Amino acid sequence: MSAEGEQSVKLVSSDNVEILTERKIAERSMLIKNMIEDLGAPGEEPIPIMNVSEAVLRKVLEWCTQHKNDPAPTQDDDADSRKKTTDIEEWDQKFMQVDQEMLFEIILAANYMDIKALLDVGCKTVANMIKGKSPEEIRKTFNIQNDFTPEEEEQIRRENEWAEDR
Amino acid sequence: MSKAAAVQPPPMPTSKDDINGTWRFLEWGVDRIMFSLKEGVDLKTYMSLYTTIHNFCTAQKAAGPTTNTLHSTHRGAHLLGEELYHRLNTYLKQHLAGVHAEMVKHSDEALLTYYIEQWNRYTTAGTYNNHLFRYLNRHWVKREMDEGKKDIFDIYTLHLVRWKEDMFGSTQNAVMDAVLRLVEKQRNGETIEQSKVKQVVDSFVALGIDEADSTKTNLDVYRQYFERPFIIATGKYYEAESKAFLGENSVVDYMKKAERRLDEEKERVPLYLLAEIMQPLMKCCESALIAAHCQLMRDEFQILLDNDREEDMARMYKLLSRIPEGLDPLRTRFEAHVRRAGHLAVEKVAEQGDSLDPKAYVDALLEVHTQYSALVQSAFTGESEFVRSLDNACREYVNRNKVCQKNSARSPELLAKHADNVLKRSTKATEEDDMENMLNQVMTVFKYIEDKDVFQKFYSRTLAKRLVNGTSASGDAETSMISKLKDASGFEYTNKLQRMFQDMQTSKDLNSSYDEWCKDTFDADDRKEGVDAYYQILGTGFWPLQPANTPFVPPATIVKTYERFQNFYNSKHGGRKLTWLWHLCKGEIRANYAKMNKVPYTFQVSTYQMAILLLFNDSDTVTYDDIASSTMLAKETLDPSLGIMLKAKVITASPDGATPQSGTTYNLNHGFKNKKLKVNLNVAIKAEQKQEAEDTHKTIEEDRKMLMQSAIVRIMKSRKTMKHAVLVGETIQQIKNRFSPKVADIKKCIDILIEKEYLERLDGDDLGYLA
Repeated sequence: MSAEGEQSVKLVSSDNVEILTERKIAERSMLIKNMIEDLGAPGEEPIPIMNVSEAVLRKVLEWCTQHKNDPAPTQDDDADSRKKTTDIEEWDQKFMQVDQEMLFEIILAANYMDIKALLDVGCKTVANMIKGKSPEEIRKTFNIQNDFTPEEEEQIRRENEWAEDR
Repeated sequence: MSKAAAVQPPPMPTSKDDINGTWRFLEWGVDRIMFSLKEGVDLKTYMSLYTTIHNFCTAQKAAGPTTNTLHSTHRGAHLLGEELYHRLNTYLKQHLAGVHAEMVKHSDEALLTYYIEQWNRYTTAGTYNNHLFRYLNRHWVKREMDEGKKDIFDIYTLHLVRWKEDMFGSTQNAVMDAVLRLVEKQRNGETIEQSKVKQVVDSFVALGIDEADSTKTNLDVYRQYFERPFIIATGKYYEAESKAFLGENSVVDYMKKAERRLDEEKERVPLYLLAEIMQPLMKCCESALIAAHCQLMRDEFQILLDNDREEDMARMYKLLSRIPEGLDPLRTRFEAHVRRAGHLAVEKVAEQGDSLDPKAYVDALLEVHTQYSALVQSAFTGESEFVRSLDNACREYVNRNKVCQKNSARSPELLAKHADNVLKRSTKATEEDDMENMLNQVMTVFKYIEDKDVFQKFYSRTLAKRLVNGTSASGDAETSMISKLKDASGFEYTNKLQRMFQDMQTSKDLNSSYDEWCKDTFDADDRKEGVDAYYQILGTGFWPLQPANTPFVPPATIVKTYERFQNFYNSKHGGRKLTWLWHLCKGEIRANYAKMNKVPYTFQVSTYQMAILLLFNDSDTVTYDDIASSTMLAKETLDPSLGIMLKAKVITASPDGATPQSGTTYNLNHGFKNKKLKVNLNVAIKAEQKQEAEDTHKTIEEDRKMLMQSAIVRIMKSRKTMKHAVLVGETIQQIKNRFSPKVADIKKCIDILIEKEYLERLDGDDLGYLA
């Protein structure tokens, strides 16, 4: 297995830039892992990552390199611990200190390439940005226009009364 | 089905929410995967397909006005992909319709080949599609399943569900028929392609989708559509085969066949079946091959027994042990057979009548046991239930046979006698191993003896004699035998025997300290007046010895000697009474008047004979009346004692040949001649021996009463009150390892104890203990 993991694979970004990386790193992406499983090791042939630009792909691969030895997530992990906490380990926090646009690009890429752990970290980062903020502040943070009528707003407040801190 | 897949791929859709364009592209891809996987799918195609699905599912399309409003049942973002799922579902249906149409054209092995080929193609495509549609799986399918929809599956499972519903139902019968025919061919000795069956099994197992949770699998489909028909066909096959085989062959041959068939079926499982089938398959084979014909086999068993067909019996045992309660009738027959053999063997030796040789009897008992014990080991694997049957049979013929007919105590008596013969010093030197062997054989029979108390009685008598007369072949053998008895029946059983041994040792020490004492107390002249003697001091309670039944006045020379010892003993152990057992004493007398080559003869005599002979020191002629009056011996003892000396011509009667009675006189025979220098005149008297045996039997009855009474008192002492019937039961329990008490005897004992006021009758059946 180690020999397989050390093979290198060539990825091609949507803007046609080839990036060489270890197979083991690339296989953090379930998309790539499944593809290699189905079609065999690609060798020299580049793998087109059609929906991800070079800048984002490099960023994603940086994360994958850091986490290349993480154990594969099991079904159980998935269900409880990770979802329930918004804690993010230190390296990931630093990694996520990027501008908002890049943050969303990473999340989209993680979703597309099927990298669950990275997707989780991205979503948690966004969640942490929302935590403790008023709707108005949230709108400001994410540049959202308030398109609710006052009636609608009142209805939402009533429905979510139970969740408010008192 | 679009078999004529477009050689040129349709364009990858440019518009994300164009379902028709998207599906056109996907259908082309799925088709390639289904039909031309061998030609390979290039990375670009693979990624295009995945990306197309991803793009379609993430299209910013608000599918309808109702989906995104506040009151819709779907909270949060609406997930796209439903249409892709249904289009794929429809595609699979069409594909399978085509496969099905083709499949019905085949039959038998060709059908199997086609089924497996299509199955493999289809499931391989399924895994590919599952990966390509992973984005759909992760989002739309997952959401649907989370919301509890039972008819939505992940893409791979969807493939299986389609196969199960559109293919399986209408083809599995034909497929299974083909499988069963293939297996039947193999059973008939033909070579088949086993992998085909295996692949069918695997496909049936794969189709076992848990209805409650489609992410899990179970064996329901396999059980119902494979295992069941397979078992039924197996049963039918072997029912027919065994019937036909038995019609033309012997039971013995049939058993070999059945054994081989069972092995074959067992080997078949790991080759191409599921391990789970082992148990039902074996059960089915056992039922058809064994249970169905078990009566026939059991009937054959007697014939095998009669002819010592060990190997065939072992085979029958192995076969019948596989079905429930298969062996019980065998055990019953075996037990009866051994019992019969035992009775027969005893009857043969019983022809000797009263003079039955103990060894012949014990050998007869052992022979049967040895033979069938070996059979139990070799043919019945030493199985404990068969051992029990053997034990039951042995107990029966050891305790209730022709020899015991009149007197049930004959078996233990003869066994004890045999043990005596083994342990007694004889002319033939016995090797230590042989001795141990023979003692073990005695123990084998002993184990079955019910009246163990009778054996104990006779054994302790013969042991006493061996010890007193110094006729034991080996002290080691004696102790070994006692420890064997102790192991078998407990400390209490051998307590007295061990005490007898101790007495012998104590006596030895006592004699040496007596010698010391004599040296210190008397001068040399004084010592010469006494007779050299060896004393054995035997504890009254432990030795089964009775005082002699005749009065006796010991000769003066002996009196002086033993009085000296008595003084010594009393000074050591005050308050103990010594009773002299003259009938067990013996001595040697030197006949200075009769010599061979100038060496005087020595007579080995009983004390009684010594007293008689010493009278001749004073006169060469002594009258019968003189002998009688000076020795005071009763006529029954005196006459035989004289008789032996007359026969040996140590003395002669006058008138010649006169019977021992008043008026007869006896003369010392100065012309005595014998081949040996030492002449043994101390021969046991026949009448005494018979008397002894009778006495022993009588004491047994008394001892049994005491044993029962003490058991009853012991039980009542601890329970205080008890129902009559329960007490009887407990008493039997307590003493059954000594002998089998009769209920009537126990009742009698209870009555005696009530009379003696140990017990009292209370209300109802209750008995009470009186302290």
